Amino acid sequence: MRQKVIFAMLALAAIIFVRNLYVISMLPDEVNQGQIFRIIFFHVPAAAAAMTGSAVALMASVLFLIKKDFFYDSLAVAVTEVGLAFLAVNLVTGSIWARVIWGVWWAWDPRLTSALICWILYAGYMILRQALEEPTQRATFAAVYSIFAFTDVPIVYFSIRWWRTIHPQPVFFSKNGSFPADWLRALLVNVVAIFLFYAVLTMIRLRQEQTQREIDYLRRTAHAM
Amino acid sequence: MTVPILMPLATLLQAQYDPIREEIGRLQRNFQGLIWGFVAAWVILMLYTLMIVFRERKIRREMERLKNLVEEAEKKS
Repeated sequence: MRQKVIFAMLALAAIIFVRNLYVISMLPDEVNQGQIFRIIFFHVPAAAAAMTGSAVALMASVLFLIKKDFFYDSLAVAVTEVGLAFLAVNLVTGSIWARVIWGVWWAWDPRLTSALICWILYAGYMILRQALEEPTQRATFAAVYSIFAFTDVPIVYFSIRWWRTIHPQPVFFSKNGSFPADWLRALLVNVVAIFLFYAVLTMIRLRQEQTQREIDYLRRTAHAM
Repeated sequence: MTVPILMPLATLLQAQYDPIREEIGRLQRNFQGLIWGFVAAWVILMLYTLMIVFRERKIRREMERLKNLVEEAEKKS
């Protein structure tokens, strides 16, 4: 049943994405940026998915510390790992956009720097998990670390409002917003497709984590025999 | 006499700063950037998906091996 749900979600994400790719290609070019502005249709949904993932990781970590249920630990590691891949997409697409528009691959701007720190913090979370062997200790330390790592997420989000940055100002749901309705619709459809893909990868990773826990248990049983 | 000699040089300089050619170049870089952006995004996600697939295979193999090991140990005992 779970397998069928995963395949259905993956197929739905692919259909939505392919259809939307055509819609995005038909949109007119942005006046100042030209064709490269279309990168926003991947750059922003990837960031939104990664940030949502880190919020889920935060909740799962808090729940693990309260309930000591290993399901929440597995959920935290699954969403964090998938989030890292999506945040990498966000950073790389942003860097390519910057090369074309700003003429440089990278600028130590508050938004870019805080996003890079966020990626490094969550990569540190994965490294920390590799370093600890005892399951309860690993899960507890990782949960505390994940809560600490999340403190960077609001900084990433609000950095363009708090500080003067060269990163474009918010264009969605803001007073100064200038994103036309049909562009916004195409972006939201891409957000749905990317969130579905994110959910599929998280479900697979979650199952892998649970199986890995069973393997660890079997290994201990085999050794005890 | 000097004009015909300088003519090719002047044409060359003019060609170098041709605004139309400059604009075509800009549009081309712009389009290439967009393509590279899409390619990079999909390469990262596909590599990660492949990593998950390989990990799934490894986990299944390990699970089978351990189950057999435990079953054999149970039979012996």
